[in-house]
Amino acid sequence: MSTRLRGARRTSRISGVSVWLIALLVALVATVQIRSQAEVERSLVGVDPTSLAFLIDDLHRANDSLSAEKGDLTQRRATLQSGGSGAADQVLTDEAVRLRALEGLIPVHGPGIVVVIDAGGLTALDLEDALNNLAAAGAEAIEVNDRRFVTGIPIIGTSEGVAIDGVVVVPPWRISVIGNVDHLSDVADLMSQQLRADRRVRSAAYRVEADVLIRSVISEKPFVYALAS
Amino acid sequence: MPSPRLASIALVALVALATGFVLADQIRAQLLTPSNQVARYQALLRSVQELEATNAGYRGQIAELRSEIDALEADAAARSATTQSLKNQVADLRAHAGLVAMHGPGVQVVLRNGVAGPGPGNGAGYLVNFEDVQDVVSLLFAQGAEGIAVNGRRLTPLSAFSGSEGQVVIDQGPPLASPITVVAVGDRNRMSDALGDQSALPDIRAREVQFQLQVTFAGSPDLSLPAYDSSLQIPDVHPA
Repeated sequence: MSTRLRGARRTSRISGVSVWLIALLVALVATVQIRSQAEVERSLVGVDPTSLAFLIDDLHRANDSLSAEKGDLTQRRATLQSGGSGAADQVLTDEAVRLRALEGLIPVHGPGIVVVIDAGGLTALDLEDALNNLAAAGAEAIEVNDRRFVTGIPIIGTSEGVAIDGVVVVPPWRISVIGNVDHLSDVADLMSQQLRADRRVRSAAYRVEADVLIRSVISEKPFVYALAS
Repeated sequence: MPSPRLASIALVALVALATGFVLADQIRAQLLTPSNQVARYQALLRSVQELEATNAGYRGQIAELRSEIDALEADAAARSATTQSLKNQVADLRAHAGLVAMHGPGVQVVLRNGVAGPGPGNGAGYLVNFEDVQDVVSLLFAQGAEGIAVNGRRLTPLSAFSGSEGQVVIDQGPPLASPITVVAVGDRNRMSDALGDQSALPDIRAREVQFQLQVTFAGSPDLSLPAYDSSLQIPDVHPA
């Protein structure tokens, strides 16, 4: 009797341990799976993969530009190191011309595109956005209806319409842009499509030109408040 | 008698264990896609970090090269009046192009993300975006700013803004995110008045109310702007 009772107790203890073991195992598996899912969700919070891919593309292009600039500066340093004041004069003259061109102080020409937008009711923000898009696509010189534009030139809305540096530019806007034609065309294509979907826009188109001439210039403004450090 | 019972319990436990493993394996198989997504995402993040490190390295080298060139030009200018005159002209042009560090009176504007909530902008209206920065910069230039830097990135005549939700990319720099600090040197009073005008920056004002987007500004008698440290190449432009 006592042997049977002891055996029954032992069997019941073993089955209890088995149930606990199985429960523990199930809990372990469930925890691993839940943690794995939570990790997925946590790491995907923030920037989405598509935006990251675009970011990588932008950074590649940026680094290419920086590499080219570094190469150019290294070359300039070598010229200065090897030559006398004649070499320095040439380096300085070349840089002066380049800086005048990018600051919009001299007429320029080169390959590019011409975007024509005919619309009523477009605002200063619309024009700013369009010019920023083109600048982000690598525009090296921009003119709107014979008004030169660079970053820093104010575009404001007036009662008579949108003004660039205080002068109203009446639609249709003819935006001449010099720069990498492939990059500019991609952006102009997208921009034209979006503009054509806008009810205020009568027409929006662009064309590629082998040589865009930009005659307008910006008058140099001396600094009043800023001092070189 | 107890041994067949024990054997049956062990069998049940074994079957349960096997079922558990099969079940776990099935669930793991279903989770394989998210796991791959995580791996891809992490690979993308690593790429961004590596490219940003390369970017910072290039910018450091460019700043150093410009400094060396400046010193070599100064040496040459000390030996020739013509070179000195050219150097003065270029110094002024460089200052206007943002290639020279400057200081002076101005304002500092800080933009901070608000609180997520329903509303226009695909749910991202609470984030500071590149258009907000562009609007603030345009307002400051229109009100007498002579030089501007955004989170330490100096703007130039060729500067452009881009980016996706909550990220601001300026020129060839790495992406910036909230808080975004815009420092402008120039006519401090005009810039302060414009920033205080509630009718200015309408989109930002609306999101201040809707998403608690934060815009603060303060004037200062002396603010510093760093020199531009990236590319100013214009390979397609030629003097007419």
